[in-house]
Amino acid sequence: MTLVANSSLRGSRQGQASVFAELDDSHVVQAFLDGQSRAFDELVARYQARLLNFIYRTIGDRERSEDLVQEVFIRIYRHLHRFDQTKKFSTWAYTIASNLAKNELRNRSRNPLVLFQAIKKHWEADHRPLQFEDSSSRPDDMYRKRHLRALVEQSVERLPEHHRVVFVLRELEGKTYEEIAEITGCNLGTVKSRLNRARNSFAAIIAPHLD
Amino acid sequence: MDCCEFREKYSDFADGLLEEEAELRARRHLGACAACRRFDSAFRRGVSALRDLPSVEVSRSFGERLRGQLRHELVVRALAVDPLSGAIAALLVLVTVGVVTWDLAELHTARRATPAVTTSAAPPVAQPVTAVPQFRDTIQARPELLHPFDPVLLISDTSPAADAGAARFDVPAVWGGR
Repeated sequence: MTLVANSSLRGSRQGQASVFAELDDSHVVQAFLDGQSRAFDELVARYQARLLNFIYRTIGDRERSEDLVQEVFIRIYRHLHRFDQTKKFSTWAYTIASNLAKNELRNRSRNPLVLFQAIKKHWEADHRPLQFEDSSSRPDDMYRKRHLRALVEQSVERLPEHHRVVFVLRELEGKTYEEIAEITGCNLGTVKSRLNRARNSFAAIIAPHLD
Repeated sequence: MDCCEFREKYSDFADGLLEEEAELRARRHLGACAACRRFDSAFRRGVSALRDLPSVEVSRSFGERLRGQLRHELVVRALAVDPLSGAIAALLVLVTVGVVTWDLAELHTARRATPAVTTSAAPPVAQPVTAVPQFRDTIQARPELLHPFDPVLLISDTSPAADAGAARFDVPAVWGGR
């Protein structure tokens, strides 16, 4: 990734970037492997937010999630030449992200700092910027909506790690069972079983608070 | 279908993956069981709220940080993979090691050959105080050592050899000359 020196070069590169935007992942990957370094920027642009949200919903720490997304892209950059192009790039990227998130959760479970981070997270909730909501909603509806958001976030965090990853991949990322199996390295039966347990747990945690 | 079976098959039910007959039984149970209806409603509302959560955006510094890390990655890769760079680096290391080894060997040889090098290399050691009077005594006793060819010194010397010389030049007791 070279620094752009002048505007004409910048213009041509922007043109190049827009060319990549029209390609599917496999062609962008091939372009990068053929020496077009700007193709990597396109991969970053496509996946940075998705991977950040996936990791954030899995580990629950915004800053650390961003560090891990950086690590995902470094690993992709480092090993892209070894990537099996008969498979989906997104599945591979999510596999790396999922492994890093799982490692993070395991490290945290051995580290007492996790308690502090859990507390800090609730502090941060009070300092979130104001968000505009639908002005047609009644105040009690708005309150319920906000309460429900906090509730579902906490409910996901309370799921066991291997259930949570499967749950987030399915419910938030919309992955198929087969993709989840590939990402998590489990067989299809395990994925179905974990997902069913995760859904049951999620519903059981949230149900008493909804009435 | 009872509650246990409903919960066991809930995931497939939620995804619409149950066989037609099992689907019918599940719906029938749902209509009859308030607890499972409540459970199903909680799940669907919860997932809907989860999907409505505002997405997290990457920070402004994300791209710059990533570029910095990838630049570093490029440098590491160039050093590790490029054989020319590797060879140059190896050559530099060899030359450096060679020069240092040669230098050390030279120093070692010099130390062996001339111990004076050791004294010159070592901090100067003060002479013992007793050495000064010894040297002065010797010079006073034998000044010709400082000026070995000074005829005055030789004549006025009080050494036995000088005494013998002095006797040779003594005026004879009986002077025969006029």
